[in-house]
Amino acid sequence: GVLAHLELLEAQAHEAAVKQEEREQQEEKLARLKARVQELRLQRDELRAKVDLQQKGEPGKEGAVPNLAQPTARAVIEWKIRSIKAMLQVFYLTGISGKLTKQGVCFCISTAYEGTYLDSYYLDLLTKPEVQIYRHSVPVFIPLHQIAKKYLQTDIRRFLSVLSDHLNAYVGRRHQVDQLQEHFSDQIEGTLQRNSLCNLLVFNYNVSSTSKTFPFNVRLLYGDLCHSLPTEVTISCTPDAPASLAETAAAHSDLFRRVGLHKAFRSFSGAAGSVA
Amino acid sequence: MDETVAEYIRRTVLKIPRDEIKTMLQKWGFLSEAQLQTINFHQIKDNISQDVVQLCEENSADIKQAAVLDIIYNHIYPNKRVWSVYQMNKTGEEMDFFDLTEFKKKFKRQLRSALKNVTINFREYEDNAVWIRIAWGTPYRKPNQYKTSYVVYHSQTPYVFVSASVLKSNLPLLCQALVVASNYCDIREMELRSHSLNSLKDIVFKRYSQNFQTYYPRPLEERNVAPENEDLRIIQENRNEKERVQRVNRQIFGDGPQPKLEFAQYKLETMFKSDPKMDVLDKKEPFRCLVKFSSPHLLESLKSLAPAGMADAPLSPLLTCIPQKARNYFKIREKKGLFPGSFVSP
Repeated sequence: GVLAHLELLEAQAHEAAVKQEEREQQEEKLARLKARVQELRLQRDELRAKVDLQQKGEPGKEGAVPNLAQPTARAVIEWKIRSIKAMLQVFYLTGISGKLTKQGVCFCISTAYEGTYLDSYYLDLLTKPEVQIYRHSVPVFIPLHQIAKKYLQTDIRRFLSVLSDHLNAYVGRRHQVDQLQEHFSDQIEGTLQRNSLCNLLVFNYNVSSTSKTFPFNVRLLYGDLCHSLPTEVTISCTPDAPASLAETAAAHSDLFRRVGLHKAFRSFSGAAGSVA
Repeated sequence: MDETVAEYIRRTVLKIPRDEIKTMLQKWGFLSEAQLQTINFHQIKDNISQDVVQLCEENSADIKQAAVLDIIYNHIYPNKRVWSVYQMNKTGEEMDFFDLTEFKKKFKRQLRSALKNVTINFREYEDNAVWIRIAWGTPYRKPNQYKTSYVVYHSQTPYVFVSASVLKSNLPLLCQALVVASNYCDIREMELRSHSLNSLKDIVFKRYSQNFQTYYPRPLEERNVAPENEDLRIIQENRNEKERVQRVNRQIFGDGPQPKLEFAQYKLETMFKSDPKMDVLDKKEPFRCLVKFSSPHLLESLKSLAPAGMADAPLSPLLTCIPQKARNYFKIREKKGLFPGSFVSP
């Protein structure tokens, strides 16, 4: 009927419009390419003229090596950008880097433990009227305000250094516990009791002696928040454990005080069943 | 098994969505895998809960185990409750070696010394959070298991997340027990409330995305990517303005997802400023009114206001300071002194 006919007309009109648009786009493209060709031809002629001049041995007005001046400038800028980026990367990798902001400075403390890069924490500082912390991403259980009260106004380098020590030690302790739970969960009995700062750990682990396993209970206290090794280690075993295990307990206690948790456990499983 | 316990377990199971019941019972661990196999989890919930109660009867469940199921349910669905945040203070600078066993002992002792009829349960989670469930009674009545308060505390932090029940009179007891158990001196309620517990944690623990300026290159710089199917017939007249708005918005809100808050409330006690000739108010006293912004996700909607063209960028600092000031209840008074205008009370 009429509607069908109208639809048909509409469709035809649409097709025609689309074709028209395509044609216009093609023409535009053609015109652009033609202009580009002209441009390139002009450039080619210029270059040819320059080459001729050079070959004739005349010292042209542009100087002895005219064409290399432009690429060189660009190459120099690129080299500068690359070296600045590398320098910033180096600063970032040292652990403390900063950027001046409108109101002060923004510091980034990147932490690492034994070759593994861990979290980064930020501090946005204002410098006027006095140095103060505007905002930060330091975890709330790190004693940031205590450290700031002591050093921020007087010695900002010391402030950053102390804070960096706290943060690095914290992520180090946390990394050890995470590694322990990930790789040595089969040796751990029950749940591992920890806290936010990872400065108190209590857990039970199995020690084998003469084909029987005995649980050791260990309590690790990290008294110094700037260190990732414990200050107090208490190991206890069940009353029915053989006396020889007391030596093992002492050895383990010493080991925990000296090396990271996961390393200690790696050495246990390495020297598997080495107890007399 | 006590009838009240049976009823409590039945009602708790009924709250759980049917598809989740099996997993939650497994997490609970009170019923063995063999027992769980005997339940048909495709029948209607009423019947499932009856079967569960039956099995609990066989295992002689008591209120402590039933309470654990309740904690598990609330831990998985914390957004069904409204949470407030409390902040604790301590004067000393000694380091705290938060010992969980000590904490639990002190908390129970302190609370029970004030009120004997309470049921207290603890459950620890991987993220160093301790969940405490308290069912309140009175000096003369046993604890009502349906009137519970929940407390979530992360060790060695000064913040406590509390979902109180209707019994507001028990809050001082709860606060005192918390302060004593965690070795702090005092506690006060913050002006921060939401259904989303994780968002409250994000705000006070500063885990939300704050846009810090650094030199370290960001992994994705998508600023200059042009949209692909751009219709050539549409011309962007104010592209510069659009880009400025995007930039300012990004500086204020950061790149990541915003913490989820449902409302922000501003109590105004400021003077009504009108044309003096109109003389709207006879007495010069503050015009009290309450402005409340509500949204399923308030901060995301604020973030989208300027790019959508509905507000100027940058937005009012009263709105954008919410995560940083860690509050969504404000009192705005007239600032007395040199500068006219409003003043936000601390």
